[in-house]
Amino acid sequence: MSQEWNIVVCVKQVPDADDVSIDPDTGTLNRSDAEAVLNQPDYNAVESALQLREAVGGTVTAVTMGPPFATAVLQEAVALGADDGVLLTDRAFGGSDTWPTSLALASIAEELDADVVICGEESTDSSTGQVPPGIAAHNDWSQLTYVEELEPNPEENELIAVRDIEGGHEKVAASLPVVVAVGFGLNEPRIAGLHRKIYAETEFEPQEYSASDLGIEESVGLAASPTSVGGMATADPVERKRKLVEDVETLFEELESAGAI
Amino acid sequence: MPGEVDTADYADVWVFIEQHDGEAAKVSWELLAKGRELADEKGERLVALVMGESVTHLAEEAIERGADEVLVAEDPIFEPYLPGPYGEQFRYLVEERHPDVVLIGGSHTGRDFAGRVAVPTYAGLTADCTELDIEPDTGLLLAKRPTFGGDAMATIKCVEHRPQMATVRPGVFDAAEPDPDREGTITEVEVVVDESHQHSRMIERVVGDITDITDANVVVAGGYGTEGDFGPIEDLAAALGGEVAATREAVEEGWIEAARQVGQTGKTVKPDLYIACGISGAIQHLEGMNDSKTIVAINDDPNAPIFDDADYGIVGDLFEVCPALTELIEQKRGETA
Ligand SMILES: Cc1cc2nc3c(=O)[nH]c(=O)nc-3n(C[C@H](O)[C@H](O)[C@H](O)COP(=O)(O)OP(=O)(O)OC[C@H]3O[C@@H](n4cnc5c(N)ncnc54)[C@H](O)[C@@H]3O)c2cc1C
Repeated sequence: MSQEWNIVVCVKQVPDADDVSIDPDTGTLNRSDAEAVLNQPDYNAVESALQLREAVGGTVTAVTMGPPFATAVLQEAVALGADDGVLLTDRAFGGSDTWPTSLALASIAEELDADVVICGEESTDSSTGQVPPGIAAHNDWSQLTYVEELEPNPEENELIAVRDIEGGHEKVAASLPVVVAVGFGLNEPRIAGLHRKIYAETEFEPQEYSASDLGIEESVGLAASPTSVGGMATADPVERKRKLVEDVETLFEELESAGAI
Repeated sequence: MPGEVDTADYADVWVFIEQHDGEAAKVSWELLAKGRELADEKGERLVALVMGESVTHLAEEAIERGADEVLVAEDPIFEPYLPGPYGEQFRYLVEERHPDVVLIGGSHTGRDFAGRVAVPTYAGLTADCTELDIEPDTGLLLAKRPTFGGDAMATIKCVEHRPQMATVRPGVFDAAEPDPDREGTITEVEVVVDESHQHSRMIERVVGDITDITDANVVVAGGYGTEGDFGPIEDLAAALGGEVAATREAVEEGWIEAARQVGQTGKTVKPDLYIACGISGAIQHLEGMNDSKTIVAINDDPNAPIFDDADYGIVGDLFEVCPALTELIEQKRGETA
């Protein structure tokens, strides 16, 4: 039964979290001067994909959806060891929320005949965590989210995962094709080798797909998104007393009189 | 293509009662209390949904805690939770009964499951909300969630699709006390799933080996400043009858298990007292602790940002402050005992 696996790893370009500022006048996010980087949890996803390929054989294809400059994150994945990269790029994708985004990724996963789709747990910019289960649901595939450990079982055509759950863990075996969301920090991502890096930056060209290539042009973008942003505000900072105390005795008294202990 | 719906056909607020081994997740009762408010505001009914085997006691409790009706899908296929069967059953119920709003706990199970419902029903789903309101003029759900690591709050609406779905993390809302005199109806629904929907199988499920810090009344958290020695943190937590938690930094160093991480990629805690020791106060960490009632910061750097987000701060070495505080607490407790 054992065969090589088509492994797809979904990666996302996000503004560097440390660079995003809020315009104090308008309350809107200023992302324009933020450097775009590979979503940090996706490093764990890429590493998982590479380890899986090492264990069962096959290929790793990195996929991203975004404007042409999002190729940068595919280059990053290829530099780390991905065999190939696919860029889903089309104005039609603009404004997609999690429903059409997961549809686009589900469609390319099907197109690439994926056995395993690996994603990071969530993205650092929108952090919904809903795209991986969305991909699985669109294709009616199995899913493994909040994965802390991952082990292939090629004889049975399945992946076995330990999932983090509240107060414990569970061990689940999922049949291929499967969509996996790996926990942030699940492994130690490798460093890109110099040769791979040069290849990624000079020779590598992503395959490009538009929405119509995937036959989903009517089902993506802002108009196909069930949700919309109805407003953005700076988070109300929680009012704190900000009382600096000199010694432990005073701290204890303050806490006692506030009823905190 | 699905999605074109007449929104007027949709009514009622639904709450998914997450249960494992016959025990409800606390977040479900928290959502039921919030759902009651939303349903009253909309002038609609609050419906709870229970799936599992031998779950009648949960259906009864859901009524005591505010539901007007409880839909029960009873079948061994729902034990234990797997996304396939749960998603398919929920899809069927949504398509049959047209709920307007669906609330699901933002636990790992709930967030695993929510996408499995939102995709086939073409619902709008807002993940990890911290506030839910009804827009007065339109009756729309206003789902608010922190974005950019908690720097901003986004309000998400779903105007044309139904249901309007939201997940909410444990500890954001308060559960209501059960009222044994409340009345409501329990409806057994048709089970439409079989093994073909399973896709995966549970090998083992172990709960209770890791403490659920989201439930603690007192949390003492350590960061990079502990340099790997959590002894003073543990002692202080023990003296206060609380739980130990940590920053991502401490988890990544391998000093403490990931289940105790507080923050954006960790857990949201809401204790009465949160003591942050050797923690700088990064935005991703604050997001998980900001709902605490009283926050104490212990840090040797007077310029650490955590002091801006604390009620009481003490500039000092945690290896001196924590033991001294522990001793004082034990001593005072001894006096009153
Ligand atoms: C996508 C993403 C998600 C993240 N999610 C989370 C998350 O969920 N939770 C989280 O916590 N972080 C998260 N982080 C990491 C976060 O940005 C910070 O790096 C982290 O919170 C810092 O941890 P720290 O405060 O323990 O360490 P540091 O920032 O290194 O702070 C250590 C503090 O200890 C003080 N100190 C040192 N020695 C002593 C001493 N002896 N006594 C007293 N004080 C001392 C220092 O002055 C300093 O202020 C995330 C980051 C990213 C990019």
